[in-house]
Amino acid sequence: MSVGTRVVGHSLPRIDAPGKVTGRAVYAADFALPGMLYGKVFRSTEPHARLVRLDTTRAAGMAGVRAVISAADVPDIRYGAAVRDEPVFASDIVRYVGQPVAAVAAVTLEAAEAALAAIEAVYEPLPPVLDLAAALAPGAPLVHEAWQSYTAIPILQRDGNVCNRARIMVGDVERGWAEADRVFEHRFTTAMVHQGYTEPRAAVAAWDSSGQVTVWSNTQLPFDVQAALADILAITSSKIRVIVPGIGGGFGGKLRIGVEHFAALLARKSGRPVKVMTTSEEELTAAYPRQGTVIELKTGVTRDGRLTARQGRIYFDTGAFAGSGPGVASVATLVLAGPYRTPNLHLEGYAVYTNKTNCGSYRAPSGPQANFAVESQMDIIADALGIDPLELRLRNIVHEGDEGPTGQVLSAVGLEECLRRAADAIGWPDRRPGPGRGKGLAIGWWTTTGGSSGVYVKINPDGTVALNTGAVEIGTAALTGAAQVLAEALGVDLADITVVSADTFSTPFDFGAQGSRTAFAVGNACRAAAAELSRKLLAQAAAQLGSPKEALTLRDKHVVGPSGRISLADLARQSQQAGGGMIAHGTFIAPGTAYDTKRVEGHVYPAFHSPSFHAHAVDLSVDEETGEVTIHKYVVAQDVGFALNPTYIEGQIEGGVAQGLGQTLSEEIVYRDGRVLNANLTDYKMPTTLDVPRIESILVEHPGQVGPFGAKGVGEPPNVEPPAAVANAIAAALGVRITSLPITAEKIVQATQGGAR
Amino acid sequence: MAKLAITLEINRESHEALVEADRTLLDVLRSDLGLTGTKTNCLDAECGVCTVLVDGLAVNSCLYLAVAAQGRAITTIEGLAPAREGLAPAREGLAPAGAGLAADALHPLQQAFIDHGAVQCGYCIPGMILSAKAYLDEHPRPTEVQVREALAGNLCRCTGYQKIVDAVLAAADRMAAGTVASS
Repeated sequence: MSVGTRVVGHSLPRIDAPGKVTGRAVYAADFALPGMLYGKVFRSTEPHARLVRLDTTRAAGMAGVRAVISAADVPDIRYGAAVRDEPVFASDIVRYVGQPVAAVAAVTLEAAEAALAAIEAVYEPLPPVLDLAAALAPGAPLVHEAWQSYTAIPILQRDGNVCNRARIMVGDVERGWAEADRVFEHRFTTAMVHQGYTEPRAAVAAWDSSGQVTVWSNTQLPFDVQAALADILAITSSKIRVIVPGIGGGFGGKLRIGVEHFAALLARKSGRPVKVMTTSEEELTAAYPRQGTVIELKTGVTRDGRLTARQGRIYFDTGAFAGSGPGVASVATLVLAGPYRTPNLHLEGYAVYTNKTNCGSYRAPSGPQANFAVESQMDIIADALGIDPLELRLRNIVHEGDEGPTGQVLSAVGLEECLRRAADAIGWPDRRPGPGRGKGLAIGWWTTTGGSSGVYVKINPDGTVALNTGAVEIGTAALTGAAQVLAEALGVDLADITVVSADTFSTPFDFGAQGSRTAFAVGNACRAAAAELSRKLLAQAAAQLGSPKEALTLRDKHVVGPSGRISLADLARQSQQAGGGMIAHGTFIAPGTAYDTKRVEGHVYPAFHSPSFHAHAVDLSVDEETGEVTIHKYVVAQDVGFALNPTYIEGQIEGGVAQGLGQTLSEEIVYRDGRVLNANLTDYKMPTTLDVPRIESILVEHPGQVGPFGAKGVGEPPNVEPPAAVANAIAAALGVRITSLPITAEKIVQATQGGAR
Repeated sequence: MAKLAITLEINRESHEALVEADRTLLDVLRSDLGLTGTKTNCLDAECGVCTVLVDGLAVNSCLYLAVAAQGRAITTIEGLAPAREGLAPAREGLAPAGAGLAADALHPLQQAFIDHGAVQCGYCIPGMILSAKAYLDEHPRPTEVQVREALAGNLCRCTGYQKIVDAVLAAADRMAAGTVASS
């Protein structure tokens, strides 16, 4: 995979590793300023209620307290990425347990906590909407009485508790049912789960005398946070500087503004720097977890296993505010189609308000839930038709040049290779090798999110290279990958490159660490910058080398020509003397993906850009007495386009599967009567070293047309298939199908002792 | 609450602090002494990011009282690598492993974590490395299962643990072979 390349395609150590293993890397949670206060948020204790009285006077007078703020102290605005429905603080109505009502800043954390306890809030309960069924019932109470007055993305299809209905319609499903020999209908459910990053959300804010505020935060999207803060603080965005010192995981949970606004508002009120950091309880009650879902899936097939039609509805419990729900509901419809040829489709994603925490984006948003339904049902169909599940998939998967569900033309489709190699690796077709043992497959596709990226690249006078990017290194080593692309293009080593990143004041714009896009987009921006630098370097060297620039190349840290060479260091020094330095601005914007606009409605993500394809295969045993699942082998074959750095792509696969196994087998934010019952890391059960098996990664490379060296997004895809692959293997092992996530030991025992279902 | 004057021996150096009796070692390390390599998260001894060594044993410093650490040898991630004269400190953040960071300034565990791609976001890594160190000091030739058991109290959400386990096993080989003296 690295033939002919010096830097890309090689498993080089990430460039930020030394600071991370020595403890010197500074994360947002570590950041502190002299004189800094500690902020805490006072939160609603009721799922749905009228706030009839809020008294902060006693808290404000307590020792060490420097600021107390509530709705009366902040601009009366609502914010939100798709629907502007969320206030900074509840003023009249609270809509979930955990919703911010007030905030305090004090000289110590203990003083701030004591002040919270002194705030008095009196509520008058309103009927809560506690789940999807209640929210969608005729005459259901509205979570937002005034939903029609909210500003929203114009194309959203909103109605009462539904804050978007996204749709894909292709052909005629009625015709598809008529052509089918069998029609299968199933219902699946999935639980709300948390991203589980180990670093809490944290922000420090400080205002200077010119009225500028600087916020050090662990956001994935510094430029988005800057824009959101401009709204909330009612100041122009250039007065807001957002810097990401370092980030201890995000997985989508740190995309949108989290605690930055509280820090900034408290700092403004108190005149002191303020730090706000969440607790585990706040994370599990008032963050941006993955939506729980209900999925209804109806699929028609011919006797020989050809898909004729699919109708699907996926309902997302998005909580008290729309959050990412409208977009996630849109993406879900593409996942419901699956990487299959299906002539007739009617797919709908609903984002639904309830009185729970506001859900957001979590690694491959909607992917695991929708894929769990689609791929579980494929195995059910295969068994019902007496066709091997691998064979059923092979008869229906997309290939080069096929259409995606919305009409996009698919290219670089490595799916069949992924599917065959994953199945081979677990010894398919021996699907039930012994009692209580079974194997499962699941396949999927995912997007490489576009958005623009800019980089400034400078050749230093010692010949090293400074890469200045607005992107966030979230932990994937994506910026190491981008730096590899830059090193390759400039003819230098990876060790020659230093990265400065994620400062809205001084780094160029970047769409942010989301959607598997960073190495892809920043890598391409680096290519553009390298091309510009190459042009300048060659032009400058041509006269000195006595050769036309067409005869010159960049190689081994030099411009090399037929009659000699000159080092990049010399050229950079000359440029500093005479030309203001050797610097280039490289940019990238992913080209749009053409699709058929007539097929979609209410859809904010109508095509998968530079899509990746993947197959997961698992061999496991289930103990029918205890419900314990033991995974013997887990294989992922993923079409990554081109593996920029194989080690860290394996890392994405291993980590994505581990997280997926948590969602599959043990993780659930448990709500009862609008309250979370397990808001601590003892009862919210994330996988440990003892729960995650070794994972075998097969990197398949069908180069895409857009990404650097053909690379496709790799971060999110491994999180898509684990629920379905494991569910299918458990069903093979037990002969019993479990259709609800997580597949806990309790559910397995109940299913095996109670017969089917 | 009345404050107590305490002396802590951290990374072979003596530090004085004035603390309330209920202050945790984690809080004193991070807030009073600026040793933020020890991370903070759940504050409930569930996640392991705050792991430090006290007299060679891995403890969750979020539940360990600072006053109880008096008279004991505390090792944090900042003090893991053997101190060498004349070596520049490791560079921060996204800076590369350049001339300022000689390879032998790292403990074999730290080097193995880099070599095996075991670091992603990195937030769990200081605790992970110190848990591994405490275990390897007692069990120099562990099996994979033993390493996994030793690290079961340290959550990592990025890596799936595989490359971490591989790194610890490789470091154990290297340390046991004595090719590099452990501190």
